[in-house]
Amino acid sequence: MIQRRDFHRPVRRAALAAALAASCLSLAPAFAAEFLVGAELPLTGALARVGNGMHEGVHVAAEVFNKANGRHKIRLVSIDDESTPAKAIAAVEKLASQGVLAITGGYGSNNIAPAAEAANRLNLVYMTSGGVDDSLVSAGRKNFFRINNTAGYERAVLGLIGDMGAKSVSIVYSTKDATTDLALSVQKALAASGVRAEAHSFDPAITDFKPVINKIRLQDRPDVILMAGYENDYVGILRAARVLKPPVKAMVGVWSLATPKMAAEFPDLMPHVYGTALLPFPATFETADGKAFSDAYRQLYRKEADYLGQFGYVQGMLLFEAIARAFDKGTLAKGGIADELRKTDRDTLIGRVQFAANGDNPHFVHRMGQHQDKKIVIVWPKQYATGPKVYPGVPW
Amino acid sequence: MTELLLQALYSGLLQGGAYALIALGLALVFGTMKIINLAHGELVLMAAYVAYAAESALGWHPLAAIVLALPATGLTAAGMHWTVSRIRADREINSLLLTFGFAVVLTNGFLMLWSADVHSTSSAWLQDALVLGPLYSMHSEALSFAISLALLAGLWWWLARSWHGRALRAVAANRDCAMLMGIAPGRTELLSFVLAGALAAFAGVALYCHGVIQPALGGALTVKAFIITVLAGLGSIPGVLAAAILLGICEALTVTLASSALQELTGMVLFLVVLFVLPNGLFGTARRRG
Repeated sequence: MIQRRDFHRPVRRAALAAALAASCLSLAPAFAAEFLVGAELPLTGALARVGNGMHEGVHVAAEVFNKANGRHKIRLVSIDDESTPAKAIAAVEKLASQGVLAITGGYGSNNIAPAAEAANRLNLVYMTSGGVDDSLVSAGRKNFFRINNTAGYERAVLGLIGDMGAKSVSIVYSTKDATTDLALSVQKALAASGVRAEAHSFDPAITDFKPVINKIRLQDRPDVILMAGYENDYVGILRAARVLKPPVKAMVGVWSLATPKMAAEFPDLMPHVYGTALLPFPATFETADGKAFSDAYRQLYRKEADYLGQFGYVQGMLLFEAIARAFDKGTLAKGGIADELRKTDRDTLIGRVQFAANGDNPHFVHRMGQHQDKKIVIVWPKQYATGPKVYPGVPW
Repeated sequence: MTELLLQALYSGLLQGGAYALIALGLALVFGTMKIINLAHGELVLMAAYVAYAAESALGWHPLAAIVLALPATGLTAAGMHWTVSRIRADREINSLLLTFGFAVVLTNGFLMLWSADVHSTSSAWLQDALVLGPLYSMHSEALSFAISLALLAGLWWWLARSWHGRALRAVAANRDCAMLMGIAPGRTELLSFVLAGALAAFAGVALYCHGVIQPALGGALTVKAFIITVLAGLGSIPGVLAAAILLGICEALTVTLASSALQELTGMVLFLVVLFVLPNGLFGTARRRG
């Protein structure tokens, strides 16, 4: 015969076990996961300026993500690749050994290619906004993603030149991969549309541009001079052009030119010069994402964000969101981050972002800005323009 | 075509003057102590950053910053000499490593102090065009060329006529004999380093006035200075000017007649050709072995 005391003990035990199981299950959704993400960028060396700018944007993305997403937290580990390919590979390998889930960063297609190759070998997603060379997405790396590309810059430059009605263009470009890619692609497109286009390459170490600008002035006699280089190149070219005064309609550059920093640093060289710009300056952010970005940037760095910060923010945020989704679905260890990135279709500060099978963003189209009275006015495309073009677009 | 070539020659001449100013300090130390100061480019850059700081923070004209740049580079050069003079064995190789270390420290120091942004003078006059008939340049380039000529002439006179200059040449020729003649080699070598630092100050201020500066520039300046020093020949000050102008003109003609992408290659090819034909440089004298 079962005594009353013996009957109640198993029931109490079962009830206690059920209560414990219920409390464990209810705790699980409240568990916050910390994700270790690697940032490999040039913080020193020739590309330090752009690397630090991107780094700031990625940090802001982590800050905003951690604040907005109460369940998950991003912890960034940054390694300086010193603007060299060998150090970029070493940085990726070191980050992998530290157990990062993915890597973001990289600047300069020459440095990104080997770093992305190393990340691919280690089965780590590599997300960047610093490499626009087409070879980056044609190398078959399944873990490589980027939010901008040469085609987007090309469309913007060709759109502006077309709007200007230029009949001839001289292209001065640095022999680095991305600038060469862009310059030759633009030259080909201009020639196909009946515009005479001469291309003049220059070594990145060159400092005196007067011989090449003089050649353009005396031999090419173009309507527009297109510059594809970096900040120090633009300064040298514009200085030489200011001395020689070629009779052109406009001086047009690509990245790193239509920025508030260039306007502040070189006020005599920037007036009426064109360059790519996502936002006017001063910028106003209408979306919640934009406001969060702007506020966090100002709080962290006590200054206004520039295009590098904007790109760094977008690449970081997209990656962090993909990691969080992959974790929630339990696919982190099974290539889930790459899968989630491929499913991404989002409006961001740089426009709509989606990733094609090769990791490229097919929707990327840049905008063209012009320095006008210490501001940057968006002049192309028409639907985003904040003001008209000013002619001649030259600083003399 | 004539106009194109004339401008190329003129630009090359002015660029050569700028190169000579940068190379002078390295040539002096190399000639006297047989030491290649791999941080020489960073000394030049230090002066350029001092000029930037004076202009941006104090509102000075960049040329006036020379009074700040001189002690900065002079003291740094003295510090470099102090460490180099402590090398007891294999001075030529070990000084390369030591000065390379200095270069890395200085480059990262500039990065920490002034970030990686590019800088240049905002003085309108320095950047305005100087037009001489069909020839164009900036005021700063012509000024830099004039300063370069003046300093080269001054240094050449000082080495030839002053007691300290002759002492320096004596130490370079034979250190032990110089000591026997009552010359203190240690102090003379310190003088050559400090003088190199002072020359770097002028070069750096001139660079800031006509070019663009950023922390990573130092290495490229050192390489250029080294090429010119070797082309000139050991201990030849007039050779520095000739080699620098030759390099500047060859580069400008390459850009004009061929492609700007080949400019740096021209320098290297010239370096190899001259060394092959004249192993002691353009103005160097053969030295007896043993």
